[in-house]
Order: sequence, then structure tokens, then C-alpha cells
Amino acid sequence: MISTVLENNNKPMLKKVLMKSGVSLFWVLLWALAAQWVNSPLVLPSPLETLKGVFTLAGTSNFYVSIGITLARVFGGVFISVLLGMVLGLVGGLNELFYEIMNPFVTTIKSLPVVSVIILINLWIASGLVPLVVTFLICFPVTWTNVVQGVRSTDLKILEMAKLYNVSKARKIWDIYIPSVKPFGVAALMNAIGLGWKVTVTAEVLANALPSVGMNLYYSKIYLETDLLFSWTLVIVCCSFIIEKTTLYFLKRTDRGGLDQCPLP
Amino acid sequence: MPITIKNLSKAYGDQVIFEDFNLVLEKNKITGILGPSGSGKSTFLNLCCGLEKPDRGTIIGVNLQTISYIFQEPRLLPWRTIRENLRFVLKQKSIRKAGPHEETINEMLKLVGLDTVGDFYPRELSGGMRQRVSIARAFLYPSELLLMDEPFSSLDLALKNKLMDDFLEIWQHDQRTVIFVSHDRLEIERLSHEILTFSDKPVKIVRSEKMNRETTIKEY
Repeated sequence: MISTVLENNNKPMLKKVLMKSGVSLFWVLLWALAAQWVNSPLVLPSPLETLKGVFTLAGTSNFYVSIGITLARVFGGVFISVLLGMVLGLVGGLNELFYEIMNPFVTTIKSLPVVSVIILINLWIASGLVPLVVTFLICFPVTWTNVVQGVRSTDLKILEMAKLYNVSKARKIWDIYIPSVKPFGVAALMNAIGLGWKVTVTAEVLANALPSVGMNLYYSKIYLETDLLFSWTLVIVCCSFIIEKTTLYFLKRTDRGGLDQCPLP
Repeated sequence: MPITIKNLSKAYGDQVIFEDFNLVLEKNKITGILGPSGSGKSTFLNLCCGLEKPDRGTIIGVNLQTISYIFQEPRLLPWRTIRENLRFVLKQKSIRKAGPHEETINEMLKLVGLDTVGDFYPRELSGGMRQRVSIARAFLYPSELLLMDEPFSSLDLALKNKLMDDFLEIWQHDQRTVIFVSHDRLEIERLSHEILTFSDKPVKIVRSEKMNRETTIKEY
């Protein structure tokens, strides 16, 4: 009897995994068919050639060094922007004057084209640091805006209750604002991770930052190694996917039962 | 010394809610306030506890820092357990100095019949249980005055009766001064020692009735 119940519970999960695998397989097959139709690895390498390229790259030390350094830039940029975005966003949400002071700065950064920022920053600082700074400048406004919005959407009725019971400001921040902001912070973190990869690799290419995944992509393009270009892209997509899933896993693990109102994506 | 509300005035634009409104509340008694919807009963409570600022007026005989409130909805922190929700209002320095309150929380949880669910989250409890937590929180907070704004209105009849019985049982322990607002005469009669009926705006007391506690606790 019990085994029947468990089987029934597992069915949706199994169905989900099968469906996701099927969808992935569909797109890979479509890619393979397109590659066969184009019939030129220089224009569109097949999935198999791309995978072979990944194994070729994995045989060199440059592969690991490049990934390691790019990862450090992504993490550094995302970490600083999320941390500062959360702290300053919290202050901005609570203090109108601080929000008014910060808002023009954030709005300006948000409206700047990424390429302009990269080239401009490259004039001022060393190439290796450009991706980190640019990632910060792109991800910080996202976190800031999300957190400010989170603070402002805090349940006024709960705040009223806390005021009535003379709860201190520090307690209100810890027990009300931070939990209220958490779903917004998580969304900002996931956004920053996704954006961080794109911005870091773009900045690495434009700033000639060495060693890096971005520059390897660039060299693959220059030497017309399209299969390696695809292999590096595949590596970036895989790294981004793994990091996103790992972050979500740890966030869910630290989640508490009462946070049902702020479901993780 | 009774609690006195003197010359209370409040207006929203042209609409005058209170104009030189005066009221004397007996200490350690439950005063019920009846009145039509929108007559200013909730505003009266909010003015008493400082959630809204009056245009003029004073409240004598109670420290504004020592007021607790049972709202229409429980207003619990959804991300904290029931025990943590109760602890939340006891975290001020002045209360902490009074000594460890874990035992008091346990006693209160037992009193409201929630001692087995202290580590549950609000979403895991029914509406009535959550409102009972809100009652426990209000009594746990060392207040001189307890305000209640239709706390039973959203509950079904059986639960309402049970909760009102629970309320009276807890109230018997420290008999603090209560202002209980409702539009439901039966609820008011069941709990109050004195019933005041508010008129429409600007608010005046149109009727005052003294109730006998023994006759008011009755089954429907």
C-alpha cells in the first residue's frame, strides 16, 4: 500500500525529468539537423564537434586557468554588487533622503550602454579589473532597485503592529524588513548571476583581459575556429547553469518553513 | 485612577470624526463600544494608541508605551514560529530587564491551548488558532490598556463563541482595562461590563449601559 503511494508521489517528478530531457534532446536534434543541412563546420559545427572541442580544451591548462579567473571575476562582481545593493537598498528603502541622493546615480548607470561603460572604465583601470568593475556597475542597480521595492512593499499592517508593541528599529529591520525583502533579494541575486556572466565575458573581450574565457572566445573567432567558439559558449552556458542551480539549492536549504510566502524560483 | 480621554478632536479634511469628545473608562473593566460601520470606532482605537495623531486632545491615566492591541486580523510574522511571534513583542529592553520570559510564553501558550503548536508557523494553523495567538500576544505584552478591534468578526459562530470564552478566561487572570469595539451587539454584550453606543459622525455617545458580568456570560 505504502509503495503505491510513494510511486504515485514520484510520478510527477519523473514525468518532469523525462519532459525536460525530451525538450533538451529536441533542441539538440534540431541543432544537429541544422548543422547537417548547413554542412560547414566553419559556419555551424554539429553538437558532436562542439562536444569534442570541449574535450580538446579540457586537455589544456589554459582552459582551467581561464575559467577560474573568469569565475572569480563573475563571483567578485556579483558578490560586491549584491552585497552593496542589499545594504544600500535597505537603507534607501527606509530613508527617503538617502534614496533621493542615490537615485540619480543608479538611474544614470542603468541607462548607460554596457559597451560605453566597458570602454570608459578601460581607460581608467587595468584590463583585468574592468570586467569586475563593469559587472558591479551593471548588477548593482538591479539589486538596489529590487531591494528598495522589497522594503517599500513590506506589509504595513505588520509594521503598525510592531510600532504599537514598541519594537525597536533594529528588531524591525531584522524581523520584518529583511524577511520581507528576501524574495526580492533572491530574485536580484539570480538576475545578477545571469547578467554577471554575460557582462563579464563581454567586458573581457572588449577590455582584452587576459587570461579569460572572453578572450578565448575572441581568439576562436579570429582564427575561425568556430567549433571552439561553440565549445567555449557551451562551457559558459554550463557554468552559468551549474552556478544558478547550486545557488538555488543552497538558498532553498537555508530557507525556513515559514517563508512559504516568498517562494524561490 | 480611571483612564480619561479629554477633548479628543479629529477631522479628515472637511469630515469631522471627533469634536471635543470626552470619555472616562473604568480601570480593570471591559468597555464595549458599539456603533454603525464607519462611525469612527476603529479611528477611536487608533487615536487612543497613537497609530493616528489626533488634531487635539489628551489621554490621561495610561502610558502610550503600554498599550496592546488585538486587530481584526492576527498580524503575525509569517516567517517566524508562534513562539517567536510571541517573543517578538517581548524583545524591548524594558521588558527584557523584567527577567526571562520563556516560562511566561509557555504558560500563555498553554492558556490559549496552543502549547503543542508553539514551534509551528502561522500558515500551519487555522484562522481561529492564529487569532488566539494574537490574543496571547496582547496579554503577554505588559500593557495597561488592551484595545480590540472586531477580533472575532471574521470567524464562524462556533469558533467565535469558543474564542470569546478563551478571551474571558485569560482576562480573568489579570483583569486589565479593555476597550472592545464591534458592530455586533451580541459579542459586545457577552464580553463587556459597560457598553457605549457611538452615534454617526461627529461621534457622540448616545447610550451607556452597565452590564452585569454574571448575566453577560451566557450561551447563545
